Amino acid sequence: MDFSFPKEYELFRRMVRDFCQNEVKPLARAIDREHRVPHETIHKAAKLGLMGVPFPQKYGGMGGGEIGYCILMEELGRVCTSTTTVIGAHTGIGAMAIYLDGTEEQKQKFLVPLAQGSAIGAFGLTEAQAGSDAAAIKTNAVRDGDHFVLNGAKVFITNGDIADIITVMAVTDPALGAYGGITAFIVETDSPGFSIGSLENKMGIRGSSTAECVFQDVRVPKDNVLGQFGAGFLTFMRTLDIGRASLGAGCLGGARAALEASIEWAAAREQFGAPIATKQSVHFMIADMAVEIEALHSLVYRTAWMIDNRMPHTLEAAACKLMGSEVAHRCIDKALQIHGALGYSRDHWLELGWRDQRIAEIYEGTNEIQRIVIAANLFRPYGLRVSS
Amino acid sequence: MKILVPIKQILDPSGLTFRRDKERMFVNREDYILDPGSKAALEAALRLQDAGHVETLIAISLGPARADDALREALALGCDQAFLLCDPAFEAADSSVAACILAAAIQKLEGPDLILTGSRSGDTALGQIGPRLAQALGYGQITDAWTLESDGKALQATCRWGTGFAAVTASPPLVITVSPEAFPLRYAHGARIMNAYREWTVTTWEAADLDLDPAALAPKLVLRSEGFPAPFERGEVFRGDPQDIGRDVVVALRQQKLIP
Repeated sequence: MDFSFPKEYELFRRMVRDFCQNEVKPLARAIDREHRVPHETIHKAAKLGLMGVPFPQKYGGMGGGEIGYCILMEELGRVCTSTTTVIGAHTGIGAMAIYLDGTEEQKQKFLVPLAQGSAIGAFGLTEAQAGSDAAAIKTNAVRDGDHFVLNGAKVFITNGDIADIITVMAVTDPALGAYGGITAFIVETDSPGFSIGSLENKMGIRGSSTAECVFQDVRVPKDNVLGQFGAGFLTFMRTLDIGRASLGAGCLGGARAALEASIEWAAAREQFGAPIATKQSVHFMIADMAVEIEALHSLVYRTAWMIDNRMPHTLEAAACKLMGSEVAHRCIDKALQIHGALGYSRDHWLELGWRDQRIAEIYEGTNEIQRIVIAANLFRPYGLRVSS
Repeated sequence: MKILVPIKQILDPSGLTFRRDKERMFVNREDYILDPGSKAALEAALRLQDAGHVETLIAISLGPARADDALREALALGCDQAFLLCDPAFEAADSSVAACILAAAIQKLEGPDLILTGSRSGDTALGQIGPRLAQALGYGQITDAWTLESDGKALQATCRWGTGFAAVTASPPLVITVSPEAFPLRYAHGARIMNAYREWTVTTWEAADLDLDPAALAPKLVLRSEGFPAPFERGEVFRGDPQDIGRDVVVALRQQKLIP
């Protein structure tokens, strides 16, 4: 058993850390305040191959696999959750669906520009009445010769308004339900009939855009059916499985930043004539944070290794997302407590970190859904079905 | 143009603490990084490569086996070939010996037009390698360059000259040392980082691979003692209203003969 990172990943992490410190961190507060996507960062990231880290080089990717991608997400998560979200939605779910189930032609046509960062991707699943209950979607696709005609609306779509390519799940046969009646499509956003509805005014991750995507008689060529016809629900669930591991990695970065800031502040801040780092109440908070971060680190990179080695990983990936978001919550909350009123100030990054991390417990499947996924996997050998 | 960049790996100074009271340096974290001078030399070479003046860009390092990482980083950044000069016989090398070994390897690489290196390293900061290489190879030299351009034939540099700068033009073959501050290094492309370890190779040469005079391997530098430099004297603080402070500062500077 060898828990060390291969050397290419060590060098990659150093490069990404420098990039995040110099290019991402300085913008984190401004993009939150100005409520805008950091296009300049995305452009720079694309030039370094950071928009396609997990994908093979023959598809324009970096060839870093899930481990490389988790390193990127962790380092981004340390400095800016908005940028993590933009790149995560693009790579980890938007482009990932095409990588997993696309044909060779679809990969050449759509995955290559996405991986190179010359096109931006998004993942179109959630609808107004279909959030956790993803199979309840109403967006439908009807065959018309060589095309399908899509009608409906997707909500809370990260990158929806900046995306060039969206993978969309639509009902193709209402009678067959989730398994057989839902198909995945690759939709180019310059297609006539595609439009953006409202943009969300969010509590956190304000440097990422969250849009309503409206499909009104959007004609999609039949060659853009992603995966098997009628098997779209499976494509999307498998994509989300992988996305959850890297989401945990982003949370790991946020939690680590909170720990490091807490140690530094506790050593510097003096009360009652000594640094607060000498107080046992602070030791206990910092020790608890460190233990949870160590455990999360092991879980995230072991899951990434399982994904890269094509092992079943549904339970572990759900655990990454569940544990990651809750560890990040607890660590940033403790860090805020250690910083006192200073951390509560709009001028301190912890205030932004606290608002930003909260979404991790909600998006890409709420933590309640993760617990159901985990329980379902545990009860399956006993022939028990866990229902929502 | 064929460019060769001798690079060096150093102990990461952010992992070190210095205790004057104990006259000791403590290594808290033993990490090795590319020397800042080497980074600047690589960036200067990569800019010439971007401008289309470079056919082959070679990185070379004299050091222990771990210097392989520094060379892989150079490959990731854009170098075409990498050579590691590693042999137990090289371990005691001082700067004169190091220059001899490097010169022998460079001759084996059939005469690059330009050798770019840092004007001083981040650890010893002796600034010896560039000038000694120029002498050993019979190349011209420009030291401590802050800008560097080429018109395809000659090289134009701005380099430190006394308290100012000088614009220098020279033709290859040349050794140019660059200031560590003047060429901030770019980020390596992620795919090149992966390939640097998975696809590309670093060639290792031992003493037997080079045409070396055994006598040249004897270090000429004798280390008699090591110590901390004398502490800086504390500055003087002037208080009072601004006019008085201004007068007092001028008087003090005159007394020190720092202003006329």
